[in-house]
Amino acid sequence: MKKTQYMIAEFENPAELLKAAEKIRDAGYKKFDCHSPFPIHGMDDAMGMKRSPLGWIVGLVAVVAVTAGVVLQWWTSSVAYPIVIAGKPFFSYQAYGPVAFAIMVLTSAFVSLFGMLALNKLPQFYHRLFDSDRFGKVTDDGFLISVEADDPQFDVKKTEDLLKQVGGKNVEIIG
Amino acid sequence: MQDYRLTDKNIIGKPALIVGVAGLALSMIGYFMDPKQFFYSYLVAYVFWTTLALGGLFFTLLHHLTGAEWSTVLRRISESVMVSFPILAVLFIPVALGMHDLYHWTHTDVVVNDKILSAKAPYLNVTFFIIRTAAYFAIWSLLSWRLHKLSLEQDSNPSPELRKKFRKISAPGMLLFAVTITFAGFDWLMSLDPHWYSTIFGVYVFGGSLLAIYSFLIIFGLMLRKRNILQDTITVEHYHDLGKFLFAFTIFWGYIGFSQYFLIWYANIPEETIWYLYRWEGSWSIITMIIVLGHFLVPFILLMPRANKRNLKFLNFMAVWIFVMHWIDIYWLVIPNLHQQGFQLSWMDLTLTLGIGGLFMYWFWRKLSANALVAINDPSLEISINFTNN
Amino acid sequence: MSVASNQLVEQETPLISGDQTFASVTEKISSIAEAKTPKMWYVAIGISASIMFFFLFLIGYLVWEGIGIWGLNIPVGWGWAIVNFVFWVGIGHAGTLISAILFLFRQKWRTSINRFAEAMTLFAVICALIFPGIHVGRIWMAYYMFPLPNQMSMWPNFRSPLLWDVFAVGTYFTVSLLFWYTGLIPDLASMRDRAKTKIRRYVLGFFSLGWRGGNRQWQHYELAYLLLAGLSTPLVLSVHSVVSTDFATSVIPGWHTTIFPPYFVAGAIFSGFAMVNTLAIIARKIYGLEDFITIKHLEKMNIIMLVTGSMVGYAYSCEFFIAWYSGNEYETFTFLNRAFGPYAWAYWTMVSCNVIVPQLFWFKKVRTSVPIMFVMALLVNVGMWFERFVIVVSSLSRDFLPANWDYYSPTWVDVGMFIGSFGLFFTLFLIFLRFVPMIAMAEVKAVLPQADPHFYHGNGHLDTAANTVAVKEGGKA
Repeated sequence: MKKTQYMIAEFENPAELLKAAEKIRDAGYKKFDCHSPFPIHGMDDAMGMKRSPLGWIVGLVAVVAVTAGVVLQWWTSSVAYPIVIAGKPFFSYQAYGPVAFAIMVLTSAFVSLFGMLALNKLPQFYHRLFDSDRFGKVTDDGFLISVEADDPQFDVKKTEDLLKQVGGKNVEIIG
Repeated sequence: MQDYRLTDKNIIGKPALIVGVAGLALSMIGYFMDPKQFFYSYLVAYVFWTTLALGGLFFTLLHHLTGAEWSTVLRRISESVMVSFPILAVLFIPVALGMHDLYHWTHTDVVVNDKILSAKAPYLNVTFFIIRTAAYFAIWSLLSWRLHKLSLEQDSNPSPELRKKFRKISAPGMLLFAVTITFAGFDWLMSLDPHWYSTIFGVYVFGGSLLAIYSFLIIFGLMLRKRNILQDTITVEHYHDLGKFLFAFTIFWGYIGFSQYFLIWYANIPEETIWYLYRWEGSWSIITMIIVLGHFLVPFILLMPRANKRNLKFLNFMAVWIFVMHWIDIYWLVIPNLHQQGFQLSWMDLTLTLGIGGLFMYWFWRKLSANALVAINDPSLEISINFTNN
Repeated sequence: MSVASNQLVEQETPLISGDQTFASVTEKISSIAEAKTPKMWYVAIGISASIMFFFLFLIGYLVWEGIGIWGLNIPVGWGWAIVNFVFWVGIGHAGTLISAILFLFRQKWRTSINRFAEAMTLFAVICALIFPGIHVGRIWMAYYMFPLPNQMSMWPNFRSPLLWDVFAVGTYFTVSLLFWYTGLIPDLASMRDRAKTKIRRYVLGFFSLGWRGGNRQWQHYELAYLLLAGLSTPLVLSVHSVVSTDFATSVIPGWHTTIFPPYFVAGAIFSGFAMVNTLAIIARKIYGLEDFITIKHLEKMNIIMLVTGSMVGYAYSCEFFIAWYSGNEYETFTFLNRAFGPYAWAYWTMVSCNVIVPQLFWFKKVRTSVPIMFVMALLVNVGMWFERFVIVVSSLSRDFLPANWDYYSPTWVDVGMFIGSFGLFFTLFLIFLRFVPMIAMAEVKAVLPQADPHFYHGNGHLDTAANTVAVKEGGKA
């Protein structure tokens, strides 16, 4: 596998990071990311990102799961093992609510977490960016931008200038 | 600074009054034709509008208690809704006069021979019923009048002390509200079938009144917006929030309604199931299904996506939908006691709803248009106007 | 819960006090988990673990002997075990309320307490699950509760509330765990990046999954968090509603009443906040977290207790009134029997602790005094245990036929198991306090004033004027 190079730059605070992101977006970069210890308001727009598809995925799974829950209960109590209990009909849809709901929530919750991880391509225990000593700060109080060398706009000199121009410090190439 | 006063005050006032008087006058003819139907239709219409006023009271109390900021721009509207209690108290008179037709437990000859009803007689008797109703209206009127008056005072004299005063009234007000709406629900609606009982019934009525006020705020706000009134004050962000509450309370209502039905269905005790049996008899099952689907399932699905709550045309449609569904819900609570074989719409259902509604809206408009449309000196007005949902 | 945000408007004091920076938050919270283990911790876990082992021993004894060693009799077939089950599940609810519902309501103050409230949920639900689990008697047949194909072609009875419990509480535990872990990922990454030893780095590196804090990750992460909150909200309402149907679907007087589902939910939140408050007061004292869990936080929780306590009082009154109004003599008798019968002591303990005590929270002095609220929270915990006791035991001990009446008293095993479950709960909690960041660092950082890009002046430098602007909360009801 080809190893991607990265160029990173540090920024002072969330506001600077946000402004820099807008400028890098306007310069036509697509493969860059803004790292911060917490999600920053308005960053999605500043980076020109689309909305996450996770909601639709989970919604779809929820519909399938709730249907499966009802079918399971219908089949087990009306077809596979029909027994009269408390004089209630075999297909007592009223009573199927709680379990169908629980199955729906359980499945959707799993898909929310694991879908998020899949979209983020996690777990990924090693990443090029971890090679930088500065990178560890982003989970504490650091604000960094990383630009991939694969980006068509990428040019060692030009990108470095751009990062510096938008306020980046300690510009560094990894890899 | 804007003063948020209306330049044209005749948008609703007069037409509403005409509709109100005409509706009631027409219905008077119905009274002579079929008094029993008249009183039942009257009760439906009356309870429908009263739950809206109760919702307005709740909205205002909640606003003050939570110190919510986003809803500040809507406060004056909900305040003007709730000051209608004196009018509603007067409009209760026909219900009181029709008690013999409406409430089985007023028939003394029946009660004497019915062990259960005679046991309930200390509570279910005409005198106590009237006293209780008078007490509800006294409490509601007093609460809403005080809060409204203070709010107008704030318009002319912005004192920081007022906020504390609002809260001082609202906290015990909320407790009183909970007790009174519960017992009003028991008295006016549950005792229509005097043998039947359900502990959750008061909460069910409360759930309906929440939907009434939130859908009303959306409908009314958007009506003003169409006329370019408050269009920059009540923004799409506020409608989005109102939509969220509409969604949340649709679930709440569904949850409460389902809890009641489910537990009665499961335990299968004849004294309790009979109430649902009536509502499943003949064509009533159609109305029941309309409520399950239209009052819960359809709004639940359609109000879920974020985009739908921010699409004002669509939201308006949903609000009207829920407002109508709330009426059907009240109809479904009341009328099976009259027409047990199947549902039977009467023209008086319509004329009385419009009649009482006309007077209600007339009064509401009078109170609203007399003052600024928003609480201009509320310290969080600015924040409320600029509120966003992100 | 909306009343929780009471007094938002006057609140000019920041959510987090002590002029915290991003780095100081990381330092303060992480260092608790990184520092050398305090001696007191060993003492504490020594005590709680011994109680826990006693609990495990009693479970073994029960499995060996059968549930005859409990005080159950005919007609009281459900005793302390079910009381404890409902008690512990209820406690869990506050954690989910804080992490999910307050999140949806944009209550930013929740960030200081959500992590350990969620941990409390997990441990409380573990304690809860044990009781019905061992109550089945032949515990090795417990797999019958799941819809597993078997050689007898039998399937579970999906029309039984007890089976709904299995699904509801099981789902509740799993979803709470997923939600809790989702919240932990960025914080574990923070600790990974400051780890000094290799083993710490590997362990934390493993559990933080390679989190890089890029906005492309945060985007999906935030949506996943929102979805989990959105799923947990109806879930938490449904769980205690389902628990309430264990009682309410029956025809036993005092059990079968339609207000049970919302009433149980309100009670659960009430008891849960009492427990969160108790734990928060202890933790902030021991670990010096007064800047993070401020009096404001405690006060808001007290207000939630006031609101939910009033709801519980409303439900008690409603039940009592309808018991009379119904004209059903069994219903009427049950409620009179609760108030004046052999279990009157339990009933009045319940009423005093659950209805009267929280009403003191109307006074600001009481709401903001740590010692007073601590005592009150304990009383609420006691009261809520008694509520379940009253419901379970008083209704069963005197039902339709007086010839069947009997008085129920617990045996030493019942008492031992209840105390033992606290041993398990606190052992798990102490382990959590020791190894996991007990406050959600990333979330606390996000509500600091300097986290908002608008906090800085146009040129990106710190604006001193803006510095004095207080943090405004979400402000939505």
